[in-house]
Amino acid sequence: MRNRLKNLVLAGVAVLAFSSGLRAQMAQQSEAAKKQTAPVPAHDLSGVWNRYSIPAQKEYINSTYTKEEPAMTPWAKAKYDATKPSNGPRSNPLKQTDDPVLSKCLPPGTPRIYLQPFPVQFVQTPKEVIILFEYDHTVRHIYLDGRPHPADVLPSYMGHSIGKWEGDTLVADTTGFNDKTWLDRDGHQHSDELHVVERFRRVDRDHMRIDITMEDPKALAKPWITQLYFQLKPDWDLMELACTDNAAFEDFEK
Amino acid sequence: MKRIRVACIALFAGLLMFSGVAFAHHGTANYDTTKMVAVKGPVTDFQFINPHVLIALDVKDESGKVVKWQGELTSPNRLTRVGWTKSSIKFGDVITISGYPAKSGSPEIWIQKVVLAGGEELATGGGN
Repeated sequence: MRNRLKNLVLAGVAVLAFSSGLRAQMAQQSEAAKKQTAPVPAHDLSGVWNRYSIPAQKEYINSTYTKEEPAMTPWAKAKYDATKPSNGPRSNPLKQTDDPVLSKCLPPGTPRIYLQPFPVQFVQTPKEVIILFEYDHTVRHIYLDGRPHPADVLPSYMGHSIGKWEGDTLVADTTGFNDKTWLDRDGHQHSDELHVVERFRRVDRDHMRIDITMEDPKALAKPWITQLYFQLKPDWDLMELACTDNAAFEDFEK
Repeated sequence: MKRIRVACIALFAGLLMFSGVAFAHHGTANYDTTKMVAVKGPVTDFQFINPHVLIALDVKDESGKVVKWQGELTSPNRLTRVGWTKSSIKFGDVITISGYPAKSGSPEIWIQKVVLAGGEELATGGGN
């Protein structure tokens, strides 16, 4: 009898403990659910966004897109092997790097610009999505007005971008690159035949995912695919960051 | 150099505590990330500039000789977003900086931690 009473009391305590834990868990879940179900503005990416890394990306995303090496053509592999990057596993001192962004202040190119760890601002008009990058006043225009890429496009660092909405996703197609930039901070190479497709999607009000596919028949033996993650920063403004200021720093490290 | 009061902290603890703080501009080849050092002294220079915020300290070694140490942080943009301003540190403030030492043996630190005279610690990461 006494044992039965003890068991009952224990069971009661367990139920109480479980239900209070459950209540806390449910409250947390409902908070998370509320955030996730907050209305996502349709066809609107405007705002200041900051890239963050998911846990699986932490060891490489500061300098490249995937843990595995991309499938490089022999041409690209030879060029890659000759590079002296500052970032990533083959890091060289600043004075010795031949990274075009660090040694010449060249614009980083698309999609490398996203690896520069600074926020971006999306501005939308009916005609285009404008992406303002904090890094070195860099700008991209993604035209939404139905125009094609120009037949005789002038090669540029950031490329020529056209886009359209597919459901809740903005799909941007970019070509017309020059071959002066690297694909990433590790020194992976591309040619002027680089073709980049980006799929921008707000997964909830505060988070955006960009699925990126890089194709380059001269440099990549197969497409290089990655995902980048951004968080909305309603309280942030873009600041100034001028690459030319870097020159004054070169003599700092000895 | 050995006589300078330098506190060496184990790699493991260092990595666990500070692995989130990365450079925005360049890589880390200049620094030995397997070691941590800490130095304390009055601030002789504080430049809140791109691409990296710079701090210099006068650090006395055991014989009383003053050695000028310099340290670099991430960009002012990132530090601004975790609460810094160009007045967060003033000339003459006695502060402690700790982080990874230069491989060359020069008195330089890639700063991972800043502690002000009153014990207040300034965030050196985040903002991104």
